[in-house]
Amino acid sequence: MAIFNAKDRIIECKIVFYGPGRCGKTTNLEHIFKAGKKYTKSDMVSINTKGDRTLFFDFLPIGLGKIRGCDVKLQLYTVPGQQKYNSTRKLVLKNVDGLVFVADSLEVRREANILSLKDLQDNLAEQNMDMFQMPVVMQYNKRDLADDGIPILPIEVMDKDLNSRLKAPYFEASAFKGKGVGETLKKSIQITLIYLNKKLKWSQ
Amino acid sequence: MSIKERIKELVKEAELYRSQSLLNQSKEKYLELLKLAESDESTSKNKKLINDIKRRIKSVEGEINEIEEADKKSPELSEDVQNLISSLFSFSQNQATAAIEGAVALAKFGQYDKAVKELERLVKEGPIPLQAAINLLRCHLSLASPEVALNQYKRWESREELGKGDLKYLQKFLDDHFKKKGIDIQLIEAGELSSGGKAVEEKSDDLIDLSSIGIQFPEGKFKGKMWEFDVSFQSGNTVSIIIPLVKKDMAEIFKKGLRLPNIQCTSPIAIFNGSGVVVQNSNITTGPKRGSFNVDIRIDGK
Repeated sequence: MAIFNAKDRIIECKIVFYGPGRCGKTTNLEHIFKAGKKYTKSDMVSINTKGDRTLFFDFLPIGLGKIRGCDVKLQLYTVPGQQKYNSTRKLVLKNVDGLVFVADSLEVRREANILSLKDLQDNLAEQNMDMFQMPVVMQYNKRDLADDGIPILPIEVMDKDLNSRLKAPYFEASAFKGKGVGETLKKSIQITLIYLNKKLKWSQ
Repeated sequence: MSIKERIKELVKEAELYRSQSLLNQSKEKYLELLKLAESDESTSKNKKLINDIKRRIKSVEGEINEIEEADKKSPELSEDVQNLISSLFSFSQNQATAAIEGAVALAKFGQYDKAVKELERLVKEGPIPLQAAINLLRCHLSLASPEVALNQYKRWESREELGKGDLKYLQKFLDDHFKKKGIDIQLIEAGELSSGGKAVEEKSDDLIDLSSIGIQFPEGKFKGKMWEFDVSFQSGNTVSIIIPLVKKDMAEIFKKGLRLPNIQCTSPIAIFNGSGVVVQNSNITTGPKRGSFNVDIRIDGK
């Protein structure tokens, strides 16, 4: 849960980018870091292994300034997508306030997307959190690959696979080209802050 | 689509997956390509093409192996990143528990040396040395070897760094672990068990330090719902939680004697399910939490 300092009117919240391995979670954060340098005083921390795979997590702190009289600080994280790193994902998910699920549009990653979303639901449940009650934004990434003739999943199929019950707001994106990243983050911040306001009454 | 076009398409796909580090998918595409090339009359005798595909498959397999090898070792991170991990992954509001959580997080992220150093410091200087010591032993047992854990215990014993009760507790902890894992080491001698066993047993029944508990309400307005509370204080098996005045309706459900059959206990080292009973519910009358409710719960089932 977010930390709200009512005296100094500071709220710190945590948004986690989740999704299967190599779906573009780190690329999302890298783009946010480059595009939003004025909002961040520190570097993005990435702990990678061979092949630029996230080994532990990526971390990017961002200051959003004052919103409704409150200083809003964001902590953005990614989890390692590979299946074997589940204990790390659980640790990174602890005290999460908002989620961005980055789905890979490649046809060959259809099953990986579904498994990752199930894994997210299970890991949240272990911490007594219900994915269906959380502020979640869906991002269908790598849409640009269709232009290169690579088979990708139609949006309708992805939405049916991943979002038919969740009914989360979704965005098409190409994190590699920076498309759709800002919109995804903006929506995630918006719904996460609304969710936290219901719980913590942080807004004036 | 001609065979030439199909081959081009498959190569393009395989290379794209490879560039994205989706190496298994890349290999599959190359295998599909090889099958196609070997089965088609126009290409089956083209040795150059077939060898080229085989060479690419081998190369992708090499990359897969390299990644698997790299994943076996955790990299030693810079001190700044280690400190960041400690601070980002310690969640308790209790400083002593948070310090242990930070050190345990380091171990979970494979930073064994730093985790050991930090836990050793907490054993010597921290306010809850027993919890630090248990975590240090766990760290040795999971990331090093039983011998390292045993030597650590013997050092504490010889230097008298920990109290007798704590040492007995650790002794029992190690013995139980060795027994469970089928390791033939026994620290407690038979005679010792009959004379001093009771004290160890009593202590070992104590609950490990909890940072939070999730309670499923058995009755009232919130019946069936699970709610997480930070543990504000713990004495043995009794934990205290504070419920703010704004949640008076919730606090009032916790009547003395109420059984709580489903409690999820979270400690820096484990999450487990338990049950308990409300032993006290009082109103805080002084200090910054004035008006809030202090609820004491005795955890009696693990």
